[in-house]
Amino acid sequence: MHLPDGLVDGGTALAGYAACAVLVGVGLWQVNRRPDPGALVPRAALLAAVFFAGSLVSIPVPPATVHLTLAGFVGVLLGWLAVPVIVIGLFFQAILFGHGGLTTLGLNALIMGLPALLAFAIWRLAGGDRRGRPTAMALAGGLGAAGVLLAVALFAAVVLLGLPDDVDAAMERRAVGIFIAAHLPVAVIEGVVTAAAVGLLHRAGSGLLRYG
Amino acid sequence: MSKRPDRLPILLLALLASVPETALGHAAFVEADAVRAVRVEGRYATGEPMAGAQVTVFAPADPAEPWRQGQTDADGVFLFVPDGEPGRWAVRLRQAGHGGMAHLDVPADTAAPLVLATGRAAAPSPVQKTVMAACVIWGCIGTALYFRRTRAG
Repeated sequence: MHLPDGLVDGGTALAGYAACAVLVGVGLWQVNRRPDPGALVPRAALLAAVFFAGSLVSIPVPPATVHLTLAGFVGVLLGWLAVPVIVIGLFFQAILFGHGGLTTLGLNALIMGLPALLAFAIWRLAGGDRRGRPTAMALAGGLGAAGVLLAVALFAAVVLLGLPDDVDAAMERRAVGIFIAAHLPVAVIEGVVTAAAVGLLHRAGSGLLRYG
Repeated sequence: MSKRPDRLPILLLALLASVPETALGHAAFVEADAVRAVRVEGRYATGEPMAGAQVTVFAPADPAEPWRQGQTDADGVFLFVPDGEPGRWAVRLRQAGHGGMAHLDVPADTAAPLVLATGRAAAPSPVQKTVMAACVIWGCIGTALYFRRTRAG
């Protein structure tokens, strides 16, 4: 679910970079306001590795092959730091594996980052880190699944709204429809992964789920 | 509107006059030429072919206006003949927001080979992929350990 180079016009790509820069800036500023800004770095670094590696794991869902997005997962576990971490993960995926373009890095970061931030907002509003283990796991599972669905919806919106005239729109819509359907199992898998991660952290001590 | 029916017979006559005699005698000629064609193949990162992907070819004269459009076959392959015009041709493949561009240089000399400028599928081997992924993951773990250590210190 990464937009490659060459399919998106320059203006849209630039707008993506601008919006992404705002989110990264706000995220870093929010983290810097905390009494101990460095405290989140080890977790951010580890989750960057998980996010980077997660999307390299292909899951065959005939007729397509899909991969984990982990948007809701990093949102719940990282809060505002999710967007910088996603940018770093996407950057390495793009330069090492050509997975997603460099011109579309901003757009791809938005497609993953906005669901992450939304998952974080809901998690915070619902007080997920203060809940009992079953409730926290159920909430995290729901947010993990919702993160995939929202990311797919954003991806489809960018693809279909930016279709050039020379592309057969009906055919592309059909292909996007198949692509969306293929992500329904991914939503289930990510829900389970996110719930399991939160369950583990909860057992290790609920302080690990708190970012202050 | 009223003028059109008057013109029609004249057009038909002109068409008939231009049809070669041999065609009226049901003769058929088949010509086969060896031409210089371009084979474009689309694959996903998993190695699966991009079957039924939309292909747009841009000629050097107008890189903004599609020169030809088509679809890849079940093997993710599309063939076209860049007739005549030398210069840099561009081919774009897309399917559900995935795909990419390839550029190739067509020399003026028709005997010279075509040169692929960009778009070579340099998919890393599984070993390369694992080593690269391990390096990045180790970088992240190292960063995590470093910050944890400074905090403890």
